[in-house]
Amino acid sequence: MQLRAATGTADPTTTEAPAAVKTRRPGGINWSYTLTSWLGFIPFLLFCLLFELLPAAMIMEGSFVNSNTGTLTLNNYQRMLSQASNLHAFQTSISLSLVTALIGAVIGFLAAYGVYNLRTSWLRNFIIGFSSIAANFAGVPLAFAFISTLGVTGFVTVLLLHWFHIDLYNGLNFSIYTFWGLVLVYTYFQLPLMILITVPALSALKPEWKEAAFNLGASNFIYWRRVALPVLMPSLIAATMLLFANSFGAFATAYALAQGGINLVPILISFVVNGNVDIDTGLGNALAVGMIVVLIIAVSLYTAMLRRVSVWQGR
Amino acid sequence: MSTIHPANTIPSLQGGERQTRRFSFGLDKISLLLVTLYLIIPLAATLAFGLSNGKALDFSTYPHILADPDFTQTLVLSLELSLAATVLTILLVTPTAYWVQLRLPQVRPLMDFLALVPFAVPAIIMALGLAEVYGTPNTLISVLSFGLVPLLSNPPFNILNTAPLLVCAYVIISLPFVYRSIDNSLRAINTKVLTEAAYSLGSGWWRTFLTIILPNILPGVISAALLTFSTAMGEFTLASLFSIYTFPIYLNVTGQNDAHKAASLAILSFILTLICVLGIIFLVRLRPNRAQNEDKLDIVAAK
Repeated sequence: MQLRAATGTADPTTTEAPAAVKTRRPGGINWSYTLTSWLGFIPFLLFCLLFELLPAAMIMEGSFVNSNTGTLTLNNYQRMLSQASNLHAFQTSISLSLVTALIGAVIGFLAAYGVYNLRTSWLRNFIIGFSSIAANFAGVPLAFAFISTLGVTGFVTVLLLHWFHIDLYNGLNFSIYTFWGLVLVYTYFQLPLMILITVPALSALKPEWKEAAFNLGASNFIYWRRVALPVLMPSLIAATMLLFANSFGAFATAYALAQGGINLVPILISFVVNGNVDIDTGLGNALAVGMIVVLIIAVSLYTAMLRRVSVWQGR
Repeated sequence: MSTIHPANTIPSLQGGERQTRRFSFGLDKISLLLVTLYLIIPLAATLAFGLSNGKALDFSTYPHILADPDFTQTLVLSLELSLAATVLTILLVTPTAYWVQLRLPQVRPLMDFLALVPFAVPAIIMALGLAEVYGTPNTLISVLSFGLVPLLSNPPFNILNTAPLLVCAYVIISLPFVYRSIDNSLRAINTKVLTEAAYSLGSGWWRTFLTIILPNILPGVISAALLTFSTAMGEFTLASLFSIYTFPIYLNVTGQNDAHKAASLAILSFILTLICVLGIIFLVRLRPNRAQNEDKLDIVAAK
């Protein structure tokens, strides 16, 4: 109320008539005020409508429409589910994201705990700073960095062959251009992201709890099992979901690495936009909606868990 | 916050820590070491790979790259697009976030939702959706957009597959962390009281915003800007699907022919990321308050 009275004087519509402002009762609804309030929000809303909401809505609508005749149909979904390659793409995408999210979450959490326990502050700052850079270093450059490292003539591949006589490609059947190679590449941005998310979350662990647990005779294992992990669990699940969404929508890294050779949903969708004849717009829309559904599950779990986090972090 | 912690814990936990040191040393320190190595090795290997010629050290790749007209052209185009996206993002989000905080707190859930949508609609889907919205005439879309979509998808504006549409898409992609960063900064200062004080002293809305609020949230705004810039510089998906020849596309094309050159280019883009992130870290340091921890969450790049 206080604010309403104060800001009323600066209202563009009322500045010419300051007398009207003074007679305004703070209790009633002030329509011109409400209207100008909304007017200030409209440019942003319109921008989001044009470039964010309408494209998403168009995809959902398009997935139920026959792209040739314009009639309502479930045919797009039928075709998506009946072709083995589409289902396989979903399977590959989901397992890739799950595997990298879990590797990132488990190892990243342990590393984050290591950062949290570090006594040397410059080292700690260095690792956090370096993680921010690594988490942002993704896409095409990352793919080429890994090709230069573990590709057929990559630096580490050659080094292993010359120094240790380990032949990654012919002896161990490894290849950076396959599923597990992609797992290695994705892990590169998942690990630092996990560290960045988890280090602040770890500060929710109060030292007093550890003291109290140990005073009551708990072992380190019991402390983690009964106190620390239950408190951290929502943050950890939220972080895992973020990592999952992060790699599920990733396109550039996989594309630059295998040039479409790995069957992932984003790569299938890119064929539609590029006008590849194998897939039509309707099927592309259905694939996109499938991705959105998976991502919505991940994102809603993420937000739900974040809400539970705030209980412990006292926000 | 976090920097105070070690000092607090060491004296109080001496006993408990001693007895458990061995266990925790085993797992967390080793993981940290392995992760650090995992993050450093590919970079070092790429640097070495870019500088080697198969057999010996060879510094000629860098002058070679710099002499390539495509390199300069795509880099300049990428810089322009990223700069445009950054300016547009900041101009759009900062006043809106302040306005919402001040006058329309009831639309905050809507803002949160709009900032969350890009997580569920990744760049690849957005490219498909934008191509459909601006590429095929649709009555429903025309009505829902108040006639703006037909206006933008027909001459003289026809923005499908053009740089302006790419810039707008970049703004949407960077929305999640830009909004969070600016909103966190706005919450950290006492927006309401500052505004009321400015108004009572006779300052108008724009003047209050530009001379009182903006200087107070500047570190947050600049780190949001640097993040947008860094994301836009590295964005590949939308540019490739709109067939706009930006720097990441050039990198991809080069990489198909010359792996050594691509390695050097990857190092160059790493250095660009490095500069942006160091800028952010420096600015976050400048900020005296508690928002420090939360800001570190905001770093998510386009993959």
